[in-house]
Amino acid sequence: MDSLIPAESMQLVGERLSEPIAATIHTEDAQRFALATDDRNPIYFDEAAARKAGYRTLPVPPTLLAWALAPPRPLDDLRVDGLFHAAGRRIPLNVDRVMAAGEEWEFLAPIYVEDRITAETRLHSLEEKVGRSGPFVVQIAETRFTNQDGELVALQRAGGIAR
Amino acid sequence: MSAQRFLDDIKAGDELPALIKCASRAQLFLFSAATLNPHRIHYDIDYAREEGHPDLLVHGPLQGAWLHQFVRDWVGPAGRIQELSWQNRSSAFPESDLTFRGRVTEIDGGDVLLEVWEEDEG
Repeated sequence: MDSLIPAESMQLVGERLSEPIAATIHTEDAQRFALATDDRNPIYFDEAAARKAGYRTLPVPPTLLAWALAPPRPLDDLRVDGLFHAAGRRIPLNVDRVMAAGEEWEFLAPIYVEDRITAETRLHSLEEKVGRSGPFVVQIAETRFTNQDGELVALQRAGGIAR
Repeated sequence: MSAQRFLDDIKAGDELPALIKCASRAQLFLFSAATLNPHRIHYDIDYAREEGHPDLLVHGPLQGAWLHQFVRDWVGPAGRIQELSWQNRSSAFPESDLTFRGRVTEIDGGDVLLEVWEEDEG
């Protein structure tokens, strides 16, 4: 049986999937995310509470990083399912659909409101497996988030299952 | 908010008090908006059905944010979450209780390892 992973795709493992992207995470963005998740912890809203908890100023709910850096995109880039076409490098796979499998995060330093964060995503791994419903590909992308001081603040590995 | 928890307060096997979340459809929309996520399965019921889902789906990352909130509120303000991992096992739906549970699996010096999970009503 032919592999679901073309040889050209295996060669992308370890490669950058797109140019680094950067954005400033504003106080309102952080608080809008916290409230949308029904998280009213005072560290996100009250400077004194944040300081008392050992933060320099208001921290950002850290999993917001996965979203806060999305650059503006034109409607022409939308797919039928409403998602935008991948902005960076395509990873050719002989599959029909990809589902989110899960995420692994390392939080290495606090992220604060008004931080300028840069994200760099690389293809971490591509692995073909066989399950009850046939072969599938586990694709893991690793994103490293650094702040304006060059400090690595978080690392995310996001898994996708493609079949 | 949550009280500070100390290493002396806990031992392996301790269970975390459960946290129950129930997303309204408006909350799904607000999370989509807060994350600039235009994926139709979270707001367009006709499209969600076209993809074979019985209802709108609760975002995986919303459930991830809830897991983070669940653990952080248990730890208390001075605690820090160093790592958090989750696997998406099945779909979650709005207007339905989702219960977050966890237990302490290991205490290694100042590091505490927890197993956390989420259950639906089924």
